[in-house]
Amino acid sequence: MRKVFKIYRPFTHAGVLLAAQYRINFFFFILGDILRCFINYFLWHAVFTSGGEKTFAGFSETDMVVYIFISFLTSVIAYSDGSYAVGEEIRDGNIAMRMIKPIRFDLAFLFQELGERLITITLIFVPMMLGVEVYKFAVTGVIGFNILNFILYLFSLILAYLITFYFNVCYGYSAFILKNLWGANFLKDCIVGFLSGGVIPLAFLPPAVAVTLNLLPFASQTYIPVMMYVGMFDVPTIIYSFALQIFWLIFFIILQQIIWNACVKRMSVQGG
Amino acid sequence: MNLLRKIHRMFKLHRIFIKQDLKKLMEYKIDFLTGAIGMLLTQAINIFFLSVIFARIPSLEGYSFEQIIFIYGFALLPKAIDHLFFDNLWAIGHFIIRKGDFDKYLTRPVSTLFAVTVEKFQVDAFGELVVGIMLLGYSIPRIGVNINFINVILFIVSIFFATFIYTGVKLITSAIAFWTKRSGNITYMFYMINDFAKYPTTIYNRLVRTVITYIVPFAFTAFFPASYFITGGNPWFNIGGTVLMSAVLMVLGIFVWNKGVSAYESAGS
Amino acid sequence: MIYVENLKKEFKKTIKDPGLKGSIKSFFKPKNEIITAVNDISFHVPKGEILGFIGPNGAGKSTVIKMLTGILTPTSGKCEINGQIPYKNRKNYVKEIGVVFGQRTQLWWDLALRETYTVLKEIYEVDDENYKKRMAFLNEALELEDFITSPVRTLSLGQRMRADIAASLLHSPKVLFLDEPTIGLDVVVKDNIRKAIKAINEEENTTVILTTHDLQDVENLCNRIVMIDKGLKVFDGEVSDLKRRFGQARELNFVPENAESINDLDYKNEFLLNEDDLSVENNGVSVTVRFNSDMVSVEKMLNYTLSKTHVKDINVTDADIEEIIKGIYRSEVSLDA
Repeated sequence: MRKVFKIYRPFTHAGVLLAAQYRINFFFFILGDILRCFINYFLWHAVFTSGGEKTFAGFSETDMVVYIFISFLTSVIAYSDGSYAVGEEIRDGNIAMRMIKPIRFDLAFLFQELGERLITITLIFVPMMLGVEVYKFAVTGVIGFNILNFILYLFSLILAYLITFYFNVCYGYSAFILKNLWGANFLKDCIVGFLSGGVIPLAFLPPAVAVTLNLLPFASQTYIPVMMYVGMFDVPTIIYSFALQIFWLIFFIILQQIIWNACVKRMSVQGG
Repeated sequence: MNLLRKIHRMFKLHRIFIKQDLKKLMEYKIDFLTGAIGMLLTQAINIFFLSVIFARIPSLEGYSFEQIIFIYGFALLPKAIDHLFFDNLWAIGHFIIRKGDFDKYLTRPVSTLFAVTVEKFQVDAFGELVVGIMLLGYSIPRIGVNINFINVILFIVSIFFATFIYTGVKLITSAIAFWTKRSGNITYMFYMINDFAKYPTTIYNRLVRTVITYIVPFAFTAFFPASYFITGGNPWFNIGGTVLMSAVLMVLGIFVWNKGVSAYESAGS
Repeated sequence: MIYVENLKKEFKKTIKDPGLKGSIKSFFKPKNEIITAVNDISFHVPKGEILGFIGPNGAGKSTVIKMLTGILTPTSGKCEINGQIPYKNRKNYVKEIGVVFGQRTQLWWDLALRETYTVLKEIYEVDDENYKKRMAFLNEALELEDFITSPVRTLSLGQRMRADIAASLLHSPKVLFLDEPTIGLDVVVKDNIRKAIKAINEEENTTVILTTHDLQDVENLCNRIVMIDKGLKVFDGEVSDLKRRFGQARELNFVPENAESINDLDYKNEFLLNEDDLSVENNGVSVTVRFNSDMVSVEKMLNYTLSKTHVKDINVTDADIEEIIKGIYRSEVSLDA
């Protein structure tokens, strides 16, 4: 394990430098996306005022606001450029270069993204997280920060990131078959965004649909960690959710390995 | 006569590029189709989201589901038209100036702004246009909009001017790149404010309302003109405001653009 | 035709201290430094001439071209082309000039080449009849036929350059500016482009101003050259003039029958000249001696060489312009140091 870190640390370093170089651009970009959270905030505020009820599908207004912002943060952290990066390398043929290097393709990418993520965490994640907690305090009058929920959330978030990463790497390989241009990635982001609970909590959907979506890997990418943070899962659900996340992670790691081996074989037989 | 000739020339150039972009679309059929499905799906998910909400509440701040759909559909039209014709402004802030590609526009005997915008006809915008028209088609009969000659004229006028609110915002923010070399993400940030316009401004607090009414006046691209058609009230503010804001932004935009071009002429890249 | 007087261009450059602290400091209190890219340059080009504009990287060539084409406004000084001032009434002025930047294309990347010309026809308001004539002429000079229906992005570099030159000539400009027109092309393609430029210049008496790194361009095309370095004009005159003034350099090449015999040759001590006036290179097979024929006559050099060694082959050539210019640059550098 220590050896792995030693080999791949330069990639993390490169990721940090890369992100730092584009930080101002990145900051404006994220700011544009944060606006969307505020629209949802106001919309839900109006919904709760108009509805007259205290809760919707088990969510109070405070829960809902926390959900909006934490799901945004989760999707910022559990985000991966893997599908674009892999697709790009396949199209321009650089992927062949990866095969002749004595390092693992997936780990090199992973460690580079971790470096970029360090910047995101300090610049966006920590301040917004604090903002959410201050909001909760201002509305309820008690400090609602629950350290246990937070730890569960962090674990779930790490799993969510890894699932997202390997899912995207797998998707990126489809560039070998499809041409994977702009349209396909846009469509994928759109579908994943919805199925992962990024638009609306899955609990709001009809029960049969909600249960099915919960099982799919997408829920593991956003919905599950956020629900851990909000503290709306009971103990059996927490255990079940972790098991589900771990299952999907292993599934995508193995799938990724299978596709990679098939690619290597194909490349060495057909020469790309 | 001279002006007429100029306009004729502008249309002719537009036609050539539109024809080309349509040809290109046929070349990249699959990419266009998946992209278009993505666009449609994004809108469908948003509508679904609204219907989930409205399943639980009778009205939102006094607006019915159909009325919200009308505002939402109205919002898509000017956005799509701006997207269709003025999409290349994004490229100014993202890379044209940074890569030094702006020089060629300065060696053309037409205005730089025209030379830049005519180059691209963004067919992707058809998705938004189609959804917008569908949503209006669904909601108009259900909310009792008065369809008469004056309203049809006012509708066209408000869509036309609302389009230039989008264009104006893009123009001002992308022209910043003449000084900073890069401003694409500033454009993105301001442009994203347009999402606020899809819902009644009454759901926002005073700060947001002030910003989207007077500072980055996207409220005039949808909610205000749409609410005239819903209620028939206050045409001077609702439609007149759209015209005024649009004119102000475009005048300001062209002013900043020209300033930017002369700054570029003295600094180069 | 083209009058340039005391043209000067200064740029403001922000100096930034390294690190985040430096970035913040320069954001609030930018420190500026004035850089003079072009300093007091004057020259005059008569109609129909091909003028070569040469100089090392960063000498200010492109800045001059950009001022002459109306892209940049000069800080001071004057330039007048066809009685017009480029940066005033730009739209009117650019109708009379054609511009090609070798490193970037003005063609529309995704359009078929033919469509690019259709667009330019409208932009420059060329009428149908003239357009037809023009296309026929350009077709002949630049051989566009083979790829005129292909999208620009699929053209090879050489094809693209021909297409770009044709695009800049569609509206029959009186002056053609070519910034590095042969950059990145192979020898054969370069030669084709040169021939085309020459043909256009001869046929239509178009004035051509070209910047280049490739001195072959200059030797084949230009009547006259203006050389600039660090923003200053260092030479203005005919190519032959340059050779006469700076070109006393000659090259003696010979292949000795017996490689050992070279050791008997000691040019340095025989002629007692410094490195600038005499240098010897021996690659094991042949020997090259570069010398200044003002200091040692060709006759003496040959006599000395032949008296000491038997040769299989021997010749003396004029140093080409490349060598001369290198020499001038070198002396510039050494003056600085």
